Amino acid sequence: MTTDTTQIESATASAPDAPAILIESARKDYGKAAGGRREAVADVSLRVSRGAIHALLGPNGAGKTTTLKMLLGLVRPTSGRLEILGVPADRPGARARLGFLPEAPYFPSQLTAGEVMELYGQLCGISRAQLVEQSGELLDRVGLDGRQKTLLSKFSRGMLQRLGLAAALLGRPEVLVLDEPASGLDPVGQRDVRNLMVELKNGGSTILLSSHQLSEVEAISDDVTILNRGLVAARGHIDALLNVAGQTSVTARGGALLPSAISDEITDVAVDGSTQVFSVQDASVRRVVDALDDAGWRIVSIAPKRDSLEDYFARMLENDPDPEPNAGEVEDTW
Amino acid sequence: MVKVFAIAKSVVTDAIRRKVLWIVVAFSAVLAMTIPALPSYGVGVADAVFREVAIALMYAAALVMALSLAVTRIPNEIERRTVFNVIARDVRRWQYVFATWLGMFVVLGVMLLAFTAVTVGIGVINYQVAMWRLFEASLAVWLEVGVVMAFAVMLSSSFGPITAAVGALAFAFIGHAFVTLLNLPELARAPWYIPNLEVFNVINPVAHGNGYGLVYGLGMVLAFLAWVSLLLLAGSVIFSKRDL
Repeated sequence: MTTDTTQIESATASAPDAPAILIESARKDYGKAAGGRREAVADVSLRVSRGAIHALLGPNGAGKTTTLKMLLGLVRPTSGRLEILGVPADRPGARARLGFLPEAPYFPSQLTAGEVMELYGQLCGISRAQLVEQSGELLDRVGLDGRQKTLLSKFSRGMLQRLGLAAALLGRPEVLVLDEPASGLDPVGQRDVRNLMVELKNGGSTILLSSHQLSEVEAISDDVTILNRGLVAARGHIDALLNVAGQTSVTARGGALLPSAISDEITDVAVDGSTQVFSVQDASVRRVVDALDDAGWRIVSIAPKRDSLEDYFARMLENDPDPEPNAGEVEDTW
Repeated sequence: MVKVFAIAKSVVTDAIRRKVLWIVVAFSAVLAMTIPALPSYGVGVADAVFREVAIALMYAAALVMALSLAVTRIPNEIERRTVFNVIARDVRRWQYVFATWLGMFVVLGVMLLAFTAVTVGIGVINYQVAMWRLFEASLAVWLEVGVVMAFAVMLSSSFGPITAAVGALAFAFIGHAFVTLLNLPELARAPWYIPNLEVFNVINPVAHGNGYGLVYGLGMVLAFLAWVSLLLLAGSVIFSKRDL
């Protein structure tokens, strides 16, 4: 007990300026060379700054899950460096300030929600008084107030998801790893989770988020890392990834015909009811706007052209369509 | 140890609320009620026969409960990803393995206590004798099945439930039968590495004698501690090398 406490204290006290999460050249092979080695993660590096929301994206089998598992001590990396708040992830105490929500969390069905909170509160080392305070507050925050004494066998999938989120937040962790946090939730629940993540970020927490809900990722993430075939396919600030260099979107409505003088200057048109979004070269913006105005269109907005994350993601995969046969096969198990 | 006790407590709470274990206890109790209907062996023997059969029932019920708990717990928690939440909370693998066994061992103790209490009650009703020594037997059964349970936990930390169950049954069988199997003349000459579960066989002193005494009891506890430590250590090493 003394040893554990000392290790945790020394672990959690170190490297105050280190990034919240650091993964360098992480690699994970399954199996032995003779029996057919499967490379789930080939070479993944990412750095999550403190106080940021960082999204980890990728198609099925890209290596996201294995990367998270390595970070969480569930899988032993073949090689690479993984740190949480400056402490090697495999060291005792490294995950003391980390909260984790797995995809589709499951708990022993004969426990009550209150007992689950008590269990995870004890595992993250908070006092009885803190547990009582945080348990009530968090269950209330995720919409499970009054459910403390309900057996989990009576919980729906969405309620288990909410409980998992509340349990992950026990002990007010500095770093949160959330795998599909809005999975199984209704639209209102998804919005609540999104708001909660933004609130946590504003409170100084760091969030590493893995999600297939790209609109959610686009709405709240600061940085994105996209994995494909166990490698980092793209990474950067969400604006830098999605903004299309040299292009501007001109949104207008109400016009009948597009002036022929500018038709060559428009590279793309998206129609949404009576509103049209014209993609134009930056240098042509003035001419296009004037021509539309003269033709009776009402200009709604002029903004740098930005891809949706969905489009970016799809385009990236289209350019790299054939995953290696063995890459990431283990993903299906999580 | 706070984390160990927290996990063990959740295992106890979860298991003790499952009806299937209480059904095993109830079924065994019903069987115990039928023991007096067995053919009489004469005055003074009937209650000894009752005790003997009751201990056998106790052992069988404990083994069923232990295996149903121990071979499924870890594989199920891995399959349902419950274990992810625990390990990710900075719990060491050995803490998880030990806590899981400890929780199940406590559940087994509660179940055995309930069954023994019912059996003693049946004895009072049928023979007007409070057979308190049956609690001595239940302690021995608890310790022995605790060892078998540790073996099952060790296997289940790497293999599926069926393999673990077969392995644990083989372990229990060999543990009792190795003297015969190896044709050894004396228990004392048994190889040290073969678990001699016969040390927990207290049918004769409890059913037909005056109990096994404190010194023998302490010896059983020592054997239990040694084997459980060894098996759980092996289970922890195996589990710590496993990718989840």
